[in-house]
Amino acid sequence: MRTRSIIVLLPIALLAPIACERARYVDTGSPEGIITVGNVDMQDILKASSGMLESLAETGVLKTAKNKPAQLVMGEIVNDTSSRFDVGEMTYRMREQLVNTGQAAVVTTFGNTPEDKQAQEVLRREKFLKGETSEPLPDPDFSLTGKITQVKRSAGDTKQVTYTFRLTLTNLRSGLEVWTKTVDMTKLGNKNAVGF
Amino acid sequence: MIQTTNVTTNHPRALRALRVTCAATFITAALLAVGCGSVNTTYTRTTPADSAVSAQTRVNDLFQQFFLTAKEVRMNRTKGGPMEVQIDVENNGFSYKTFSYRFDWVDTAGNVIASQLSVWKVSNVPSGGSTVIRAVAPSDDATDFRLQLRQSES
Repeated sequence: MRTRSIIVLLPIALLAPIACERARYVDTGSPEGIITVGNVDMQDILKASSGMLESLAETGVLKTAKNKPAQLVMGEIVNDTSSRFDVGEMTYRMREQLVNTGQAAVVTTFGNTPEDKQAQEVLRREKFLKGETSEPLPDPDFSLTGKITQVKRSAGDTKQVTYTFRLTLTNLRSGLEVWTKTVDMTKLGNKNAVGF
Repeated sequence: MIQTTNVTTNHPRALRALRVTCAATFITAALLAVGCGSVNTTYTRTTPADSAVSAQTRVNDLFQQFFLTAKEVRMNRTKGGPMEVQIDVENNGFSYKTFSYRFDWVDTAGNVIASQLSVWKVSNVPSGGSTVIRAVAPSDDATDFRLQLRQSES
């Protein structure tokens, strides 16, 4: 009876630590994190924002602006994938790097749908009280727009997804595209996994 | 298909034949292992690049160091101003290797510059092949870098 119990319980005891993994902290974007085939993961977002920032830095396009630092308007960045995530996860990381290092200043009071409507109202009111009727105070150099797309393919149970992040910087004085960058991420597999 | 047979004999000729068979089997298996997905690389440069710099590696994973080798490290200043580093990574192993890497940039005082550019990235390199991993510094102040490289499954 005792031997039979040991035979039954021993494999369960050995497999228990494998079956239940305790919650733990991992570095954000670390290769130890969960990797999914059908979704954009945090690793993908960090890699995309890093790739975009590297390209902006190496081309030096922001240094060509009339304003120092360059004034930037965040345009529309469309998530055209089946994966639900906030595009701000990428853009705010880019903004943090650009604004906090003094490479660019983001204009949050520009256009009909400004990010900070209250600040725009205050700005307009001050201009009105001063009697200024000329161009609005923020005079941005560039606008940033983009799109995130996916291409899905499968062979049997194996799925392959390529997520493409593309951003474009337009010079608002000339209306011309002055910088563009695509960052691809291809994932292949038939089930989600925990990284290693 | 590789077939193995257990033979017990004291005859010298049979023993020699057995040794030859074993050696041939081993060589065939090794060649097959190398042949699957291996790449042949052709290059014209035989001396280090002008921008090549010396680097040192602290080895904690000897197995990884044996198969994945950072062959040459080059540093240049980009058109925009910040430094760019390019590292040739060679796979001397018999299988396709996936690895993760992260660059941290440091200033002249040796302090790490915190930035959104220092993230883990994944790259693959086929057996016998090489790949170039590159990174651009977050600012003009960055003068040096540290690279962490680890073998990965994903």
